[in-house]
Amino acid sequence: MRNGKDKLIYRPPGGSKWLTRGLLMLLALLMLIPVVVTFLYSFFSPEEIKAFMQTRGSYDDTQWMDVKLSPMMFSLTQYYEILIRDTSILHMFVNSALYTVAILLGQAAVIPLMAYGLSRFKFRGRDAIFFGIIMLMLLPFQVTMVPNVLTLRAIGLLNTVWAVILPMWFAPFYIFLIRQFMLGLPNELLEAAQVDGAGTFRCYAHIVLPVCRPIIGAAVALSFADCWNLVEQPMTYLSQRMELQPLSVMFNQLASSSSGIEFAGASIYILPALFIYLYFLKDILAGVQLTELK
Amino acid sequence: MFTHKKSVWLFLLPGGLGLMLFYIAPFLGGIWYSLTDGSYRNAFVGLQNYINIWKNPMFMLGLKNTMELSLVCAPLVWVLSFAIASLLNRLRPRGAFFRNSVLLPYLMPSSAMLLIWLVAFDYGGVFNRLWVALGFGRVIWLQGVQLRFPIILMFVWKNLGFAVIIFLAALQAIPEPLYDYAKLEGAGFWRQTFGITLPMIVPTAFLVIILEWINAFKIFKEVYFIGGAYPDEAVYTLQNYMNNMYGKLNYQNVTTAAYSFALIVFALFGVLFLTQSSLLKRLNG
Repeated sequence: MRNGKDKLIYRPPGGSKWLTRGLLMLLALLMLIPVVVTFLYSFFSPEEIKAFMQTRGSYDDTQWMDVKLSPMMFSLTQYYEILIRDTSILHMFVNSALYTVAILLGQAAVIPLMAYGLSRFKFRGRDAIFFGIIMLMLLPFQVTMVPNVLTLRAIGLLNTVWAVILPMWFAPFYIFLIRQFMLGLPNELLEAAQVDGAGTFRCYAHIVLPVCRPIIGAAVALSFADCWNLVEQPMTYLSQRMELQPLSVMFNQLASSSSGIEFAGASIYILPALFIYLYFLKDILAGVQLTELK
Repeated sequence: MFTHKKSVWLFLLPGGLGLMLFYIAPFLGGIWYSLTDGSYRNAFVGLQNYINIWKNPMFMLGLKNTMELSLVCAPLVWVLSFAIASLLNRLRPRGAFFRNSVLLPYLMPSSAMLLIWLVAFDYGGVFNRLWVALGFGRVIWLQGVQLRFPIILMFVWKNLGFAVIIFLAALQAIPEPLYDYAKLEGAGFWRQTFGITLPMIVPTAFLVIILEWINAFKIFKEVYFIGGAYPDEAVYTLQNYMNNMYGKLNYQNVTTAAYSFALIVFALFGVLFLTQSSLLKRLNG
């Protein structure tokens, strides 16, 4: 037993692995079911969904809502309705996409640059600046919202799309995240390039950025998740511009009066998030694993 | 590491300007608002706004609900994610499917998920069926104080995965020989847990609770999804108060409320930070 290879791998005693597997399986199902059911319901006909949603809100103790797991008839009508016939949901979907793209592009330009300055340089005041960024990171949106409104109004951006986009470009959390990763890069990496006469910007563009691929991928995915679920910012900064609202703000209204197409709306909203998840999954895992998150 | 390079300021310039314009200047400038009366003369009134707001029942209600909800959500995600990460760690190197499924909701827009929540938590919905099957009576989940349950569940559903990933990375970074050595010395499972695992993950645990708490203060999102823009009193959060006052153009009230909340948040994180450093000192000392 003692010289078995198994000895080298840590295996905590107590309980069988099957119990662990069972618990995790249950958990995985709970996590996946809402997503799966949303997709499933998007293939019901609008009439069936409407009838189903209308059985909500009954307080009759003798009645239950049906547990619907398959449509009476498989139908793509919901998709036809939102993609071709009435494009108001599609319009809000496009709003969401435009906000997300604009925010991510700005973040890509600003945030790694700042993280580089705060991690690979030694200068007076660096720790103070970083401490300030951590303080900003801790501030909840409720605190920054009003001062922000006052500034945005002063520079004439309130009730324009820039009110939502610009502040997000400088989100302190991602500066923190990428800076922590860059801090862990070995010095030899840059010293060789310096000997060859590369300047600070060349080092950034040709060495640091490519090496930071996992954490930047992770940051893109996490930031996407934020942007795709925007609620507070558009609600307050664009309170007078209903036509500029992203889809995430509007599901609430879609649910309150069922038009039978809301599940297709939810499904097309989930799809891009699903692609981002699948594409960046490895980066998220590697990024978190390689970052000194302390 | 570059030293004596003036070019660093070029790298910091765009981000620095933005942070200045959209975070720091508004924050400092807003303090002035909270100290004036908002009339056309904008007279200085000292701390009068603060005294008023702390007597304002709606502000106190919002503050109380926000604190209560975040006090449930953040520790709940914290404990659950550690437990799940430990389970996943036992399956190493397998268990990727479980890990990936737990992370999936973090990327999902919970806005699109609210439909399922409303269906499941309806009076005649699936959740009540389960509830009855377990031998309880039916509950009206979407009204009154019970509303907190689906809201908290939605928060946990979405935020659990990222915390699990962070904990899992920390657990995997603990060097194996530590455990081998402990086993040679005859340490059992609990001795290993308290002697090695917990001390090694204190910094990570601290990070996770902070991140979750920051997230939990944003629980207005889930409240808005499930409870609507004018929710029940039991889930009326600080953000609802802010939105109402902002709608009434009462900037004095909102800024004062914002800074009162900021003080509480900083005090909270300050205490957490002190706890962590004293804990680390004791564990290492």
